[in-house]
Amino acid sequence: MTPARSSSAAGVYGLGSDIIRNLRKDFRVEFRSRFALNIAVSFAAIVTIAMSLTAGGAPFPAAVQSILLWTVIFFSAMNGLSHIFVREEDQATALFLRVSVTTDSIFISKSIFNQVFMMILLIVITPLFVFFLQVNVIHIAFFILSVAAGGIAIAAATTILAAMVAKAGGKGSLFTIISFPVLLPILWVSINSTTGALRQTAPSYDNPVFLLAFSGFISVISFLLFRSVWLED
Amino acid sequence: MNSAHYILNATGLARAFNRIPLFTGLDITVKTGESFCVTGPNGSGKSTLLKILAGLLSPSAGSVTYTADAVIPRDEWPAHIGYTGPMVNPYDELTARENIEFACRRESDPGRGHALLDHFGLSRHGDKKLKHYSSGMKQRLKIIIALVNDAPVLILDEPGTNLDDGGNDLLAAALDEVRKQKIILIATNDAREEQLCGGGVRLG
Repeated sequence: MTPARSSSAAGVYGLGSDIIRNLRKDFRVEFRSRFALNIAVSFAAIVTIAMSLTAGGAPFPAAVQSILLWTVIFFSAMNGLSHIFVREEDQATALFLRVSVTTDSIFISKSIFNQVFMMILLIVITPLFVFFLQVNVIHIAFFILSVAAGGIAIAAATTILAAMVAKAGGKGSLFTIISFPVLLPILWVSINSTTGALRQTAPSYDNPVFLLAFSGFISVISFLLFRSVWLED
Repeated sequence: MNSAHYILNATGLARAFNRIPLFTGLDITVKTGESFCVTGPNGSGKSTLLKILAGLLSPSAGSVTYTADAVIPRDEWPAHIGYTGPMVNPYDELTARENIEFACRRESDPGRGHALLDHFGLSRHGDKKLKHYSSGMKQRLKIIIALVNDAPVLILDEPGTNLDDGGNDLLAAALDEVRKQKIILIATNDAREEQLCGGGVRLG
């Protein structure tokens, strides 16, 4: 072991390098197969258009529109967010991943991947939903902030759950079931926040701030717990 | 490559699954320039022992240490060990070059991957996705992945699986080239691979 390797600066550079290598690999694999993204976007498009046709052009109240938006986001995301870890176990690449990059970098890179995946999903779903369900957004900037904060919170909370489901040999349905109780408060606050953006009264910033703070808190806790979830003993 | 002299020291190693002992009381010492072979019938714990020595599993009893200039913390073992085995599966959606690029650590020589692809006869197929590879070609790539970082400890679990005679010769040549600078640990039931090692242990 050289002194350079053991220094904290080398450790940070090594962690950064591992994160970049793993992200590059994950994006290559995902965008070549487009498995998770195809399923999530197809689900979102089908459900949104189905709701629009069923409503027959009748506008829903703001609270109902908000609930429907987060229902579509939740189930679309559940189809894809677990994939990043489940794929490693399904395709038996988990050991190659483990011997190639550090455990900490696996969690950080998979978290970043899930956040990017969620943002792509939101960028596709939200305009689609607003258009087809004729949503009248009063506070546009606050609406974008609410949707983004809710998405960040969902991705942050589900990354560690995806690792647990993958290690348990579970598939998508197990992920959706165990995620629901954890995501319930996030969905609750996200719905309230989004509803505020659809009403005339000035919205409160408490909800998006809570969502972002919750995301930070759960990301740190997940990072600390990840080692015991991911490593065999 | 790190020029430090490495010593692997395992004492009293035991591993049990569901309270059934797989092996007990194993003492192993291997130094840089030495190679060590683990043999035994199927299910005797060869892969488990190598995983323990690679830091991928914990022993039920006993301890493993790697010493270079100082004892290396277990967290840092992966940076010092090149490991491959039947369960190390590269990504089918990536090409061989992309898999090697992923396996190649920051401090490693990027040119080494190309040289190894050439040595193992995969240069022409380097830009093909792995899903189009034969099992023998995948095995050659797995060996390249273990060698690419030029790690001072090389742990190979059944490296000759699916290799043809040419592949086995290339493996032997690659190991001969690095033998003096590394600790080499091999698990095998193949007599030719046993001959690549200086000593060893038989399990079961």
